[in-house]
Amino acid sequence: MPVSTEDVVNDDERKSNRYHFDRHTPEYRRKFEEITEEMQGRCPVAWSDTYGGHWVASGHREVFDLARSAEYLSNDNDLKGERRGYKGISIPTPERMSTVRGGFLEMDPPEQRYWRQALNPYLSPAAVSRWIPVIDEVTRACLDERIESGRIDFVDDLANIVPAVLTLAMMGIPVKDWTVYNEPVHAAVYTRPNTPEAVRVAQLHQEMGRHLYGQMAEIRANPRPGLVNAVVTTEINGQIADDMELLGILSLIIGGGFDTTTALTARSLEWLSDNPAEREHLSRERDTLLNPATEEFLRFFTPAVGDGRTISADCEIAGTRFKEGERLWLSWAMANRDPSVFPDPNKVDLARKGNRHASFGLGIHRCIGSNVARTVFKRMVVQVLDRMPDYKCDPEGTVHYDTVGVINGMRHLPATFTPGPRLGAGLEETLEKVQQICDEQRLAEPVTVRKAQAKISG
Amino acid sequence: MKVRVDSERCQGHTLCAMIAPEVFRLREIDGHSEVIDEEVPAGQETQVIEAVNSCPERAISTID
Ligand code: SF4
Repeated sequence: MPVSTEDVVNDDERKSNRYHFDRHTPEYRRKFEEITEEMQGRCPVAWSDTYGGHWVASGHREVFDLARSAEYLSNDNDLKGERRGYKGISIPTPERMSTVRGGFLEMDPPEQRYWRQALNPYLSPAAVSRWIPVIDEVTRACLDERIESGRIDFVDDLANIVPAVLTLAMMGIPVKDWTVYNEPVHAAVYTRPNTPEAVRVAQLHQEMGRHLYGQMAEIRANPRPGLVNAVVTTEINGQIADDMELLGILSLIIGGGFDTTTALTARSLEWLSDNPAEREHLSRERDTLLNPATEEFLRFFTPAVGDGRTISADCEIAGTRFKEGERLWLSWAMANRDPSVFPDPNKVDLARKGNRHASFGLGIHRCIGSNVARTVFKRMVVQVLDRMPDYKCDPEGTVHYDTVGVINGMRHLPATFTPGPRLGAGLEETLEKVQQICDEQRLAEPVTVRKAQAKISG
Repeated sequence: MKVRVDSERCQGHTLCAMIAPEVFRLREIDGHSEVIDEEVPAGQETQVIEAVNSCPERAISTID
C-alpha cells in the first residue's frame, strides 16, 4: 500500500509521545522506578522504536482501559499465517520461530473462552482449596529437608518445588517427574540466547516436550483425571485441536504455574528478611494481614510483568489513536506503581487498601491460575514464618534475574535460621505418598465431579 | 445500601469475596462473583466499599 504524506504526518502526530523503552536490559531493572515515574508523568502511552516499534502503556488508567478493550485487541499468535499474521503476546517475537502457540493466552474469543470454560472447574477458588492439605504436606517435606541444618535456599529448596509439584498433580502427571519440568521452565526465563547454557536448556526443553507428549498419549489411551485429560478431550466447534495446539495449552499451564509463584515467593521472603519487624507483624496478625499482604506483594513485585497485544482495528483509546496491526505492551508492573491509584506506590504497605493491582492481568485474559498462585504462596509463607521465624537471607549468595523483561524473579535466595526438629518424611517419600493420595482420592478431578478436600493421614 | 456485581465486567479476581465474604459469593465453577443479597447487611458497608475500591475490573457498584 502506498504511504501518503498525510499518513506520515498523521503518524508523527499519533506517535509524538515517544520513549526509548527496552525492558530487556539490566538498566531497566535497575532504574525501574525512575523510568516508571518518567513515563507515567510524560507519556503514559508512548511509542517506542525498539523491537520493530511498539506502543507501551504504563499508566494505570491507560493499561486498564486498553486491557479491557477486547474488541480492539488481539492476543492471536498466527504461526501459520492463516488469519491476520499477528504475533501473540511476546515482544520481541521469540528468535526461534516457535511452532507452538502459547495456548489460550495467544487466542482470541470465542475460542479462548471455550478453553477457559473447560479448565475453570480445575482452577476456581473452590477447586483449589481442595488441594490445601497436599500443598501443606509438600511444603512441610521441603522444609524438613533443611530444618535441621539451619540453612535453606528458598528458591531451590522450596519455591521451585511446591508450585511445580502441585501443577503436575493438578494436571494428572506423576509428581515424581517434577524435575523433568522444573529446570527447563525456570532456566528458559533467565538464560541468555546464544550461550552454551542456552544449548543445554534447549535440550532440557526437548526432553520436557517429549515427556509431556508421552503423558498426552498415555492419558488418551488410559484416561486419568486432571488438566491433561481436560485438554485432550475438549472439543471446540465439534473438533479436537491438533497435538501442537494441545501442547501449547499444556505448556501455558506449566509456564504459568511454575516460575511466577516461585518469583513472588522468593521476592517476598527476601523483603520479609530485610524487614524483620514487618515479618513479625505479619506472622502475628496473619488472620487479617495475610490476605492484603499477599495482594501487596503481588502488586509490588508483579511477577509476570506485562503482556503484548496487537491492535485489531483502528481505534482511539485512552487518548491515543492506534492503527490496526500495531503492537502494544501492557505493563502490569508499571501500572501497579501509578501514584494516582496507589498512594506512595514504591513503598510496601502490607495493609494497603483499595489495592486493585493488575498483577494477574486485566480483562478477559485474567490469569486463570490466580487462585493457585495465591494459595500456594500463602501456604508456603505461613510455614516458613512458623518454622523458621528468624531466617536471615544471605545477600552474598542471592541472585536476582539480570533482567525483568518477562518475569521478575530470582535464581537463588540462600538463608540461615535457628535449626529445628523434623516433623515428618523427606521429600522423596512424601511425593510417593502424595501420588498415592492423588490417585486413590482422584484429587485432580474437576470441582464439578469431586468437591471434598484431600485427606492426608499421618 | 445496595450492591451489584456486573457479570459482564467481573473476571473472577476474587478480591471482593476475600474482603467481604458475607456479601459476595464466588461461583464454584469459575470463581466469578455474585452478591448473596443485594441489600448490604448492616455493619458490612465499610467492607463493601473496600471491595468496590479493590475490584481490579471495577465491576462492583453500590447505591445508597
Ligand atoms: S473482585 Fe471484581 S472481578 Fe473479582 S470476583 Fe469480585 S467482582 Fe469479580
